[in-house]
Amino acid sequence: MGDWLEQNGALLGLALLDGIASAALIFMVAVGLNLVFGVLRVLNVAHGSLFAIGAYAAASIGLFAASAGLPGWASLLALLLAAMLVGLVLGPLIEQLLLRRVYGEEPVLQLLVTFALFMILEDAQKLVWGVQPVSFSVPVSLMGTVDVPFGTDVIPYNTYQVVLLPAVAVVTLVGLALFLRRTLTGRVILAVTTDREAATAMGIDARRVYLLTFTFGAMLAALGGALSTPTASLVPGIGASTIVLSFAVVATAGLGQIEGAALTALMIGIGRSVAVTFAPELEVVVPYIIMVAVLLVRPQGLFGVVETRRV
Amino acid sequence: MLELRSVMVDIAGAPVLRGVSMTLPPGGRVALIGRNGAGKTTTLRALMGLLALRGGRVLIGGEDATSVPAHHRPRLGIGYAPEERRLFGQFSVRQNLLLPVEVLGLPRTEIARRLEAVFTFLPELATLADRRAAGLSGGQGKMVALGRALMVGTRAVLLDEPFQGLAPALALRYAEALRGLHASFPDVALLVTESNPQLLTPLVDSTYVIERGEIAHDTALGAPA
Ligand SMILES: Nc1ncnc2c1ncn2[C@@H]1O[C@H](COP(=O)(O)OP(=O)(O)OP(=O)(O)O)[C@@H](O)[C@H]1O
Ligand SMILES: [Mg+2]
Repeated sequence: MGDWLEQNGALLGLALLDGIASAALIFMVAVGLNLVFGVLRVLNVAHGSLFAIGAYAAASIGLFAASAGLPGWASLLALLLAAMLVGLVLGPLIEQLLLRRVYGEEPVLQLLVTFALFMILEDAQKLVWGVQPVSFSVPVSLMGTVDVPFGTDVIPYNTYQVVLLPAVAVVTLVGLALFLRRTLTGRVILAVTTDREAATAMGIDARRVYLLTFTFGAMLAALGGALSTPTASLVPGIGASTIVLSFAVVATAGLGQIEGAALTALMIGIGRSVAVTFAPELEVVVPYIIMVAVLLVRPQGLFGVVETRRV
Repeated sequence: MLELRSVMVDIAGAPVLRGVSMTLPPGGRVALIGRNGAGKTTTLRALMGLLALRGGRVLIGGEDATSVPAHHRPRLGIGYAPEERRLFGQFSVRQNLLLPVEVLGLPRTEIARRLEAVFTFLPELATLADRRAAGLSGGQGKMVALGRALMVGTRAVLLDEPFQGLAPALALRYAEALRGLHASFPDVALLVTESNPQLLTPLVDSTYVIERGEIAHDTALGAPA
């Protein structure tokens, strides 16, 4: 073990940093998926498409800003703007035109409808952005690198991924937890999540809460996508791989668990990047091995609570 | 204050309420008695707008409220304590009590006044205020559900089988609270359901009996109970 570490220490460190960076992105997507499912009770397969469209929109807006000669820091704003735009436009559109019609229907029907939406958005995305890789990496070069000490090694890593992405994820995690517990709107969302009819009888307009939550979840997915843009080259299919990963995170953590989703995203993100480094043939299956192992022992998820008697 | 006129409700395609008519006068105290499955809960849910009517009308304060959405009914001064309490377990007792009035957007002073009135009426709630609702006993939960209904129910409170599952001592305490309701909240009409006719008779002015989705007797009209 000691020898192995000595030889592979830097590689392991690199894998850990990769894992943390990708965990930050997976978390942003998974937490939105989780929130939306908790409130609307619809598992939105197209959640990954919002990630993809957020990513492409960020590239377009960022490239436009660069060509317009805006300074480098504007590229970071471009990412944020793309996420807001995609969330605020597509969120209400999807909720009002589509999801609204399937609330309370059979889960199979809901899955089919959101899957159809996923296919439509996937095609729309190919129509708008084509199938050639798109990339926009200004924010990464803008922020430079930091030297991360790891044991006896020092690993230079780009600041964007190792500082900014985790920071945004932590702010999202803490901000969301505070928002849900400390504000009236947050408590209203929790009330609808817990018991829609009781919440309605308390004067809460559940339909409005659905719209709000879905739009917010869409914005989180788009933000995850926009933040992934600077370090990835965008190709068709990123939506699908993202939704599958975030399903794995939500199922492993347990529904409704925000802090749990963060820890699980870390587990799965790091698990995957360690696999990429040391056993590349396992990359694709590692998240599901983790998920299945957890669910075999704890079917309610790592942090899920067994549905307690209603109080 | 509240009136149902020939209300018909189907659930899952089967008729559950078959022309229910009843009246809760302002400040009145009415019991709705019926066996398990008779349609008591469905009647209250219909009053709260929580399910669609196949026929009939709901009047609130003399005005047709049939098409008023459920989430607007608390605004009309109707408080509802559902069967099984249905508190929000992750919130404190205080947060549970405040939720409906905060949603209404009442001024702080009015919210404080109402909370004070509820704490005066049910002093045990003041001591429980900071406890998480999930940790309450069944009886404590029923008290909180009553308090929560009173926070918005300035004109009427609807209590669905509040005595169900209460230990005898708690049932006595709850009955005592209900007896004092009129003195503390004289404008608030009370509609309470129960399967055991004996339990409520001393607490109310009139009684409706529901059987298989129809009103069978009604002492309000002087029929034999
Ligand atoms: N969700 C539902 N699906 C199918 N049938 C239902 C549903 N809810 C109620 N019913 C039926 O409607 C009828 C009336 O139910 P309701 O709950 O109003 O009765 P209740 O008088 O409140 O009974 P209890 O004393 O058991 O609370 C019952 O026959 C019940 O089986
Ligand atoms: Mg009932």
